[in-house]
Amino acid sequence: MSYYADVTISILILMTLGVSLNLLLGYAGRVSMAHAIFFGIGGFAAARLTLPTVDELGGVATAGLQTGASWHWFPALIAAMVIAFLAALLISIPAVRLVRGEYLILLTLAFQLVSNQLMGVLDSVTGGPYGLSGVPPIGFGDTILIRPEQFIWVMLVAAVLAIAACWGIGESPFGRLLKGLREHDSAVASLGKNPVVPELLAFSVSAAIAGGVGALAAFYYGSVVPSNYTLTYSIFIISVVVLGGLGNLWGTVVGAIVLGSLEPLLREVVGDSAIPWQAVIYGAALVIMMRLRPEGILPEGFGPGRLIGRRRGGRSQLVPTEQEALDRLLHVDPGTDPDAPPIVEVFDLQKSFGGLTAVNGASFSLQRGQVTALIGPNGAGKTTIFNMICGTLPADSGRVHLRGADVTGKPAYDLAKKGLARSFQDVRVFQRLTALENVAMGVQDQPGESFARLLLTPFAVRKAERRVKQKALDCLALLGIAERAHDRVNDLSYGDQKLVAIARLLATDCDVLLLDEPTSGVDPASVEKVISGIGRLRDLGHTVCLVEHSVHFVQRLADRAVFLDQGTVIAEGTVDELMERRELADLYFGT
Amino acid sequence: MDLSLLAQLTVSGIVVGSAYALLGVSFGIIYATTKIFHLAHAAAYAGAAYAAVWASNSLGLPFLAALVVGLAAGVLLGLVTEILFYRPMRKRNATLLTIFLVSLGISVAFPNLLQIVFGPDNQTLPRPDNPTIAIGSVTASRHDVVTVLVAWTLITLVATFVVKTRFGRSITAMRTNPTMAEAVGIDSKLVYTVVFVIGSLLVAVAGLLFTTKGVATPTMGLAPTLTGFIAAFLGGIGSQWGAALGGLLLGLLSSWSALFLQADYGPVVVFGAMFLILLVRPQGLLGKAAA
Repeated sequence: MSYYADVTISILILMTLGVSLNLLLGYAGRVSMAHAIFFGIGGFAAARLTLPTVDELGGVATAGLQTGASWHWFPALIAAMVIAFLAALLISIPAVRLVRGEYLILLTLAFQLVSNQLMGVLDSVTGGPYGLSGVPPIGFGDTILIRPEQFIWVMLVAAVLAIAACWGIGESPFGRLLKGLREHDSAVASLGKNPVVPELLAFSVSAAIAGGVGALAAFYYGSVVPSNYTLTYSIFIISVVVLGGLGNLWGTVVGAIVLGSLEPLLREVVGDSAIPWQAVIYGAALVIMMRLRPEGILPEGFGPGRLIGRRRGGRSQLVPTEQEALDRLLHVDPGTDPDAPPIVEVFDLQKSFGGLTAVNGASFSLQRGQVTALIGPNGAGKTTIFNMICGTLPADSGRVHLRGADVTGKPAYDLAKKGLARSFQDVRVFQRLTALENVAMGVQDQPGESFARLLLTPFAVRKAERRVKQKALDCLALLGIAERAHDRVNDLSYGDQKLVAIARLLATDCDVLLLDEPTSGVDPASVEKVISGIGRLRDLGHTVCLVEHSVHFVQRLADRAVFLDQGTVIAEGTVDELMERRELADLYFGT
Repeated sequence: MDLSLLAQLTVSGIVVGSAYALLGVSFGIIYATTKIFHLAHAAAYAGAAYAAVWASNSLGLPFLAALVVGLAAGVLLGLVTEILFYRPMRKRNATLLTIFLVSLGISVAFPNLLQIVFGPDNQTLPRPDNPTIAIGSVTASRHDVVTVLVAWTLITLVATFVVKTRFGRSITAMRTNPTMAEAVGIDSKLVYTVVFVIGSLLVAVAGLLFTTKGVATPTMGLAPTLTGFIAAFLGGIGSQWGAALGGLLLGLLSSWSALFLQADYGPVVVFGAMFLILLVRPQGLLGKAAA
């Protein structure tokens, strides 16, 4: 009986570690190779805090007797979590500049190996290669929980709490933000959200939970040994998450049960060779699973709810009509002052790539509430100018003003906060999220995207989330695709994906919207939807600027056009005016 | 400061650093071209060593022939990984994360397979004598000299190949813009295959250089692979000389650290250097800033 309880405890430990890693690996799509180290940091911290002091051991520090601060187990558990949290934050500092995933792999891999080595060397802190022993067990009053049958309940509660916490975080607006970053951090930044902070928090929170489990394991086993916190164990935890299913916590539960029972079962068959056999089996399972079913045993979004026929996200909201949506969404006042300055002014922008001058002194402006098209032959510098306005490409010289203020070179997320947002030629919608979730990502100032408010004011967050969903649905309705709201975007046609991207832009409430080739690669029927959608943006009073090749499209939509050639503005006016000028038409069509 | 100690540490730093440079170039060329975080590189390192030991002890092959068997095994392991696993996954547009996880799976399963087949004990390759050469108070072994010569000859060959030959330039083209490279008729499969052959050959050489001095163990590949990663990132991804310089620097740093630190802390110095470089100059010492 004790044996089974002991095995169950080790599975529950693995499960809790896996669930916390899934928050990072599955939801945020970032790999940590050092999860076992945070597990260990928590263990050593808890051991040092709860071990008896020198005085309690008789006043003399004798060799072989390990001492600590003699804390109660509960504050020690909390401290272990905080220490693991801070350690993770510290090592992820370089990641602030390098959000690219491979750097985190490199960094955590090196951190794992170095820390594990240090644990064996720093005798005064970790007790050296044999670690610390004599860690006092958890007790409630006079009851000491030391037998497996007793401790199993503690671990069960901890596992349930960790799953609930990770579920709460992962399925919240904050989790949605993580999933967005996993797919396109540039798109998240273009929606006015800091692309770095959520990832650092996911990493640190995941480490904190591992630290907490480490403390509990220290209390249960009574000892902490460096050889328990190896790279092999880190990889084992990764395997649990990946085999179970990235981004699916239930999958991790299943994965932990399967892989956690592997060693005890193998021990019955092959005895002491169980450990290498276990590694061969889960290593091979990882390879085979990724080749045949990369989404894991339980794919993302597949939960108990799906089994009884409930759809993800529910359908509680009624699909609003276009008119209802139009009434509810923000109307921008175009302003009646005829002397008001243009909302965006571009002065003398210059950009060279090596010896090639792409933009050579372009100046123009966007008028409030109008649709302005940047047109011109290929290589005229349209996209380059566009990228310089959006802050994705630094200009060599020249300035960009937004509402009279200089915003040259401001990063994309800053510009979005100031009311200027862009779309991408290659859409960059979040493929594995629903259309509704995609658009919800555009909504600004969501309390649920702040980790602190998620913890402190969960009810306000839920209330705000209903408002966010309603608004997202309105944006989709305005573009005529509300009925697809709960479908995953990668199930939609390319044309519908472009509409989702425009709806997402609309949800930002930015009044200046820059669209990069909104109809390129779109089928004719969807082009009509895009045209009417952009017309709706104008109806709401937004200022729109677009780069577009299709003259037909520009003629139907644009109030004004800026004609570029060889990096300079050579004409401005209505599209019809420009197209009547023969020399421009020749330039454009290359005849 | 003891100057003769410094000189001795510098010499051993150069020897160790040359092997690290080889590892850096080996990992760097694969990572820069394919963007795959090829952790399974460790399998080629250990596989080469075990194959040479097996050829020598079980087949009774002479020393040099055993080394050739080792090299062949290393290259074969790299090729099998690319052709059997990475290539079909790329074809199905698998994400880099899933490809990395495959690599991770291989890097876990392979050393444990070695342990099941050959046992967990150290394996020794019968080797020729290794006389010590002394210049003044500084000593080096013949093996050290061979290590330095072999490493820098191979690095120079690879770096020249990539910069000077037509095929080498198509490797650079694949690295900087795969879509455009394919559009102008570069065969991506062939480029990837060649890159894996070069990278695996270099890592096999490093594995054999190690085994002809030390011993082979199932998990021997992991630490050198990580050193290769760090060297390549330190020097700058995409530059052969950068990765080589990164490796040499790592060797010197860990060797010099013995002047003021216990030997156990060597890896900490290496990690510290990497942390600092990533903070201050994320593109690496010789890397170009991303556009």
